[in-house]
Amino acid sequence: MEKGGVNHPVQQRLSPDFREGYARLRQETLAHIRALQRKFTAELLSASLFLLLSIAALYDFSFFPSLPEGVRAALGRPPSVTMIGTVLVIYVFSGIILILSRMMIGSGRYDGIGHVGFIAGFYLFYHFSGKLPENFWAVFVSGMTIFVLESYHLWIYCSEEIAREREVLASLERKSGG
Amino acid sequence: MFKSLTARAIIPVTVSVTGFVVVCCILLYSLMKADMTSDVILLETNQAQMIVKSTRYAMRHDDRESLANIIDNIGTQQWVEHVRIFNKKGIIMFSSNHSEVGKLLDKNAAGCIECHSGAVPAATLGDMKQARRFTNDKGKEVIAITAPIYNEPDCYQAACHVHKAGQKILGTLDIGLSAAPLIRNLTVMRNRMVIFSIMVLLVTVGGVAALLRRYVFIPLRMLMDFTEKTVQGIEQEIPPCGGEIERLAGDIRCIVKELNGLRREMAQWKKEE
Repeated sequence: MEKGGVNHPVQQRLSPDFREGYARLRQETLAHIRALQRKFTAELLSASLFLLLSIAALYDFSFFPSLPEGVRAALGRPPSVTMIGTVLVIYVFSGIILILSRMMIGSGRYDGIGHVGFIAGFYLFYHFSGKLPENFWAVFVSGMTIFVLESYHLWIYCSEEIAREREVLASLERKSGG
Repeated sequence: MFKSLTARAIIPVTVSVTGFVVVCCILLYSLMKADMTSDVILLETNQAQMIVKSTRYAMRHDDRESLANIIDNIGTQQWVEHVRIFNKKGIIMFSSNHSEVGKLLDKNAAGCIECHSGAVPAATLGDMKQARRFTNDKGKEVIAITAPIYNEPDCYQAACHVHKAGQKILGTLDIGLSAAPLIRNLTVMRNRMVIFSIMVLLVTVGGVAALLRRYVFIPLRMLMDFTEKTVQGIEQEIPPCGGEIERLAGDIRCIVKELNGLRREMAQWKKEE
């Protein structure tokens, strides 16, 4: 019972400023939840793209027409297999360290498409040096490691952030009495 | 399950270590396979050169019987799948397999095309280009080498021969060795690498899991049990936890002590009322 002995509906009790602020905050929270969901979906799309690329690489890109000799000549000699392998090891190592450090500091950054680009580069370098069949599994396992680790991190991060935002929503609902 | 504290601690370590060790092992195996295959080809090239040098005297004296005998004897060696000498036209003159003597080889066949791909046949090739790998009629994998027999001064200056000084190559020796020893060694090496990788993974992941369980999860579980029992009103002591968790345990002890004191005071008041 309010002062004066009259019960008003909750929305009428709140000041217009509060109602406006509440609506804005609610919209922002919902938008943040949607952004977090989109972020994880984008990571899953990158992982799917990586799998599609790997299927093409498994067949040594035989679905695609081969490059004309002129283009191949313009590209020059491919780097040695040892060099590609060394760069691949450095890439996996630094990728794992980066993702683990993001997990440590609780950052929600991710490089899904960037990793697809790197992996595509390795597949293409091996393809042009004619050693893709021997080295396919090395590149595939590298990609899988990076994507599993990054997806797991992003899944945990987004779930926690969404739970936090839902708590904010719930507390807003409580404050507004809705 | 995947969101529990244990999973969050173990899954990233397991995925990182497994992925990195597997990638390194695959690349290492690939490099070692290439190195071992190169070694076999180098050894085979040396053997081919040795056979060419050993048969040179018989060739110079046109001693076909001795030459056929040498080729037959080499062909009986373990792991030697075939030895043949063919002339510049591609006709097999001597072979460990007598049924193919006199047959004409196709210039586009593997082992010939490497030199005969252009308009003018190449006179020299690197060791790796001379080598070819295939499965023969008996179903055995073979690594074969073709070594050119060059026209040297003692050939074209000899009275018995008709080769001109301008003719660079007189014929070719083709020797094929079984790839079985190489395959066996590679299989043994691969199995050892797999066992080594599994051991590294077990030691790393097992070590991390054991240490986390001993120093983090067991003390946390004790604290959880303690707080749950306190909520239920059961009084008990927290055993020492060690490390940073001991500080947390100390704070919880203080809070619980105060809570228990308040509970006792409330119980006393209720009795007095």
